[in-house]
Amino acid sequence: MAQNPFPLGKDELLKAYRTMRTIREFEERLHVDFAKGDIPGFVHLYAGEEACATGIMMHLNDNDRIASTHRGHGHCIAKGVDVHAMMAEIYGRSTGACRGKGGSMHIADLSKGMMGANGILGAGAPLICGAALAAKVRGDRGVGITFVGDGASNQGTFLESLNLAAVWNLPVVFVVENNGYAESTAMEWAVSCDSYVDRATGFGMPGVTVDGTDFFAVYEAAGEIIRRARDGGGPALLECNMVRFYGHFEGDAQTYRAKGELEAIRASRDCLTILSERVVEAGVIGRDELQAIDREVNALIEDATRAAKAAPLPAPEDLLRDVYVAY
Amino acid sequence: MAPVVGIVANPVSARDIRRVVANATSLQIADRANILLRVLAALRACGVRDVLMMPENGGIRAHVERGLMRARGNGASGGQDIYPALHTVSMPVTGTVADTHRATAEMRRAGVSALVVLGGDGTHRAVAAECGTVPIAGISTGTNNAFPEHREPTITGLATGLAVTGRVPPHIAFAANKRIDVSLDSGATGATVTEMALVDVALVTERYIGARALWRTENFRELYVTFADPEVIGMSAIAGLLEPVGRDESGGLMVRLSPNGDGAGDCRRGITTLNAPIAPGMMARVGVTDWRRMPASVAFVPEVTAGSVALDGERELSFSERDRLSLTLRDDAFRTVNVAAVMRHAGQNRLLTGTPVPVAAAF
Repeated sequence: MAQNPFPLGKDELLKAYRTMRTIREFEERLHVDFAKGDIPGFVHLYAGEEACATGIMMHLNDNDRIASTHRGHGHCIAKGVDVHAMMAEIYGRSTGACRGKGGSMHIADLSKGMMGANGILGAGAPLICGAALAAKVRGDRGVGITFVGDGASNQGTFLESLNLAAVWNLPVVFVVENNGYAESTAMEWAVSCDSYVDRATGFGMPGVTVDGTDFFAVYEAAGEIIRRARDGGGPALLECNMVRFYGHFEGDAQTYRAKGELEAIRASRDCLTILSERVVEAGVIGRDELQAIDREVNALIEDATRAAKAAPLPAPEDLLRDVYVAY
Repeated sequence: MAPVVGIVANPVSARDIRRVVANATSLQIADRANILLRVLAALRACGVRDVLMMPENGGIRAHVERGLMRARGNGASGGQDIYPALHTVSMPVTGTVADTHRATAEMRRAGVSALVVLGGDGTHRAVAAECGTVPIAGISTGTNNAFPEHREPTITGLATGLAVTGRVPPHIAFAANKRIDVSLDSGATGATVTEMALVDVALVTERYIGARALWRTENFRELYVTFADPEVIGMSAIAGLLEPVGRDESGGLMVRLSPNGDGAGDCRRGITTLNAPIAPGMMARVGVTDWRRMPASVAFVPEVTAGSVALDGERELSFSERDRLSLTLRDDAFRTVNVAAVMRHAGQNRLLTGTPVPVAAAF
């Protein structure tokens, strides 16, 4: 094998690939099963955006907190939430991460530092400011990462959180996952500033834009930003320009896209293809090793789906369980 | 026919990781538009009535158009148009460097007399790849910006206007520039990739493009520069602090770097440690093995066999042991507006006075 020129060791590269592949297969399976009518509620798929969640989460540990969005499956998987518990949650089963009462948009696992997907746009940002304040007060070098789409970046909660994080110098990273569309509205129609870096600058923090389809670009930039936050350097904004392979929600006819747009981005901007070609071409990882991971991931998703479908629904008496939590 | 000036304004320069690993500037879009308005006013004052602009979705054009509209609306110009008419190249916007390539080529075909460029070294490189003999007037809105000189954009606009309207002789108005051509023959596919750099080609050991910028000095191995200026920052500064080479002299400089930048160097291997400003506010120790002049038109084959090629400070191509890389410096590769020479000529010849005034002013 050739000398490894990458900023991660071979095991870490394989882990990154496995995470991205797991997210992709998870979402592809949901795409198929949702169309069959098997899944309650709405699902918003992260397929195409895997490099962003994975490149960032590779720098975190369970002590670090993240606050996610309505499109949260990828963040959950990359943060280490159990895939079986996630699938059961999405199927509304009592074995789910939230005992089947949350569904796709409310998957949480505090033991993994995952404070929850969130059906309310922009609601993760204030949560993560609180978590980051706690980490700062405790002095445990924990960081908080919040994700927001280009649409939700206009929410008052998000803008207030940028201000709060700046004035309190909180260890927060605001990640704008810019996939170009707020539901169906293209960014240039809806975002007053022309660049998210300008927006960060206005709040007195640095902002960086990276190609969110390049795992290494995200990994490298996120590493520097997270290290800075951990060391007390304060908040920063990271804009990842990326693409989503499916609609805003499952069932979205995507009439707002240009003809051929989806085919073009799938052909040229698939972050999984970009990563695997890079590591195989460098001679660090064999294609057979990636294919072995693909088979294991397929088996995992198949098993998680089978188990979720076989699991019981919550009982009526579960309705009032976990409504209040004592700290 | 009055000359038309082309404008390429990059909305996405100055957005990379150097805002976090160093204290690089974040120039807001509205500020870029403001710079453009200053340039436009100066061009119009010199008699340029039409400009042709690259389309972009980053917001610069929208801010500029609003500025033009307000100027017409507020009557401050006394009924005179103080700006040229703004036209846009008809082409789809991809938001990538391909836009700069295509817009530049279209403007060259449309016969523009000069190209005003707002961006960093990368933007200027993209324009230089397609501009042919059309001179470039560069304005720095990027990060390291060794290529475009730092100057008030109004003056760059004035010099461009004076140059393209023929009020300054071409031999004064325009300067020749160097570039380094990079050729990469792929051992795997047999294909050849050709690229170019305006200021520097750096070979680094990272074999991935990643966040593009260069700041990990331990990975620096070889450096080739068209000019070595101790007054700039970035890779050219490393060469400039070893042996200055001017923009206007033939050839450049080649520097071999080593990972032993920390400490007092390795006397046994003859390694010198240089403290250089490699990014805004970022002084770093760089290990230098040796350096020598890089004559024009001679192909250099690097010693480094695998890594990435960084062009003007950004990793662009990765290469392995199977690939063959060569670098050749070209003198007189493209032209720029010589702003300093134009303005000196304008002053000496009172080009901006209303009526000719004697050389010795009357007291």
